[in-house]
Amino acid sequence: MIQLQQVTKKFGSFVAVQDVSLTIAKGEIHGLIGASGAGKSTLLRLMNLLEVPDSGAVVINGQQLTASRNAELRKARKSIGMIFQHFHLVANKTVHDNVEIALVLANYPKKLRKVRVLECLKFVGLEQFANQYPAQLSGGQKQRVAIARALANETAVLLCDEPTSALDANTSAEILRVLQKVNVELGVTIVLVSHELDVVKSICHRATVLDAGQIYETVELTPDGILETSQHPQSFVDQLVKGGIGHA
Amino acid sequence: MPDVLRQYEAEIWRAISETFFMVGVSIVAAVLIGLPIGTYLFLCGKEKLLENRIVYNILNLVVNTIRSFPFLLLVVFLIPFTRFIVGTAIGTVAATVPLSIIAIAHYARLVEQSLLDVPKGVIEAAVSMGASVRRIIFSFLFVEARSGLVLGLTTSIVSFISYSTIMGVVGGGGIGDFAIRYGYQQFKTDLMLYMILIMIILVQLIQMFGTTAARWLDKR
Repeated sequence: MIQLQQVTKKFGSFVAVQDVSLTIAKGEIHGLIGASGAGKSTLLRLMNLLEVPDSGAVVINGQQLTASRNAELRKARKSIGMIFQHFHLVANKTVHDNVEIALVLANYPKKLRKVRVLECLKFVGLEQFANQYPAQLSGGQKQRVAIARALANETAVLLCDEPTSALDANTSAEILRVLQKVNVELGVTIVLVSHELDVVKSICHRATVLDAGQIYETVELTPDGILETSQHPQSFVDQLVKGGIGHA
Repeated sequence: MPDVLRQYEAEIWRAISETFFMVGVSIVAAVLIGLPIGTYLFLCGKEKLLENRIVYNILNLVVNTIRSFPFLLLVVFLIPFTRFIVGTAIGTVAATVPLSIIAIAHYARLVEQSLLDVPKGVIEAAVSMGASVRRIIFSFLFVEARSGLVLGLTTSIVSFISYSTIMGVVGGGGIGDFAIRYGYQQFKTDLMLYMILIMIILVQLIQMFGTTAARWLDKR
């Protein structure tokens, strides 16, 4: 479903991601964790080519995005949803119109748009807010609108860049429940970036620990925590995420 | 109505219509040409969607040069160009040429500034959804910046009215020209004051309308 092959990304002389290879299976919720500056957001943005790699290949659903022309890339992006820490909704559009824009971009049949928008809003529990503007919503509601927008075009992959970092604990839990529902009921593959290990542990099937732009290790997770098959004790990963190892 | 206004009623109405014509043409030019130039200026800027330093620097230089010209000198400087465009350098129609040039440059800069206020994340979200540059402009940038664009146009219109008062130099007429020729030069101070009052009322109405429209459009 998602394959990164020896991907490297530099910003000037700073190497944000170095020689990363990673495969994420269809239907998986995959976490990317690491300390600040470890390269997790850059790695996520490389998956839909918001950042263009200096070398290596990105393959999604069998399509090599790194070899795609502009029009092909735009088309591919329409089936790769993305949500952000600060939601990035269009403040001057209503909730309905914010979701509808994804359908407009995908040339979704005009007659079916309204039904689809309401379907998506109902899925995230916001159908009664269709005519409100983002400024009238809470942070959690805004993120749910962003999820509805990302899913509108029957998305196969959902990229989540720190989706709960701007939210309180209860709202974070609510957003994570929605993401889990997206994965279970719609079969959407989710890649979730977070610096909070608890967030990753709560819903991810596997997680990749990043350190200084490289993969430290990929571990399998259960609701109880990291499996014993991990090369390192959980306390080590905990410390890594908090920036306690290699960043002192 | 005061006697002096009644005495010059026909001339006053003609002056008002000349001002409306000159300002009207410059508004159309600002929207049709200044808006695309300002948008392109924004898009060619550093780390923007169509980043192009050469195009940006050229457009930036042209816009700055026109805006830094003292308007009276610009009108005189553009006489050959005006003659080339409308066949004459004298009259109300001819006056619209320099006024439109300054209007385009003025509004282009305000458009660029309004678009710079659009959160970078909104553009990023649009790109992540597979939006083309055209779609990003019309469905994201203009929607998010619309109140700023309206306020910018309002500010510009007020400036155009001010600029239009100089157009008597090339026989453009208008309220300002009438106030100078009939009020100041013929020592009819009361007539000049009435003309100033008309312009103040006009500017107040435009500003009030622009501010109200911008507030209504702003849902942030």
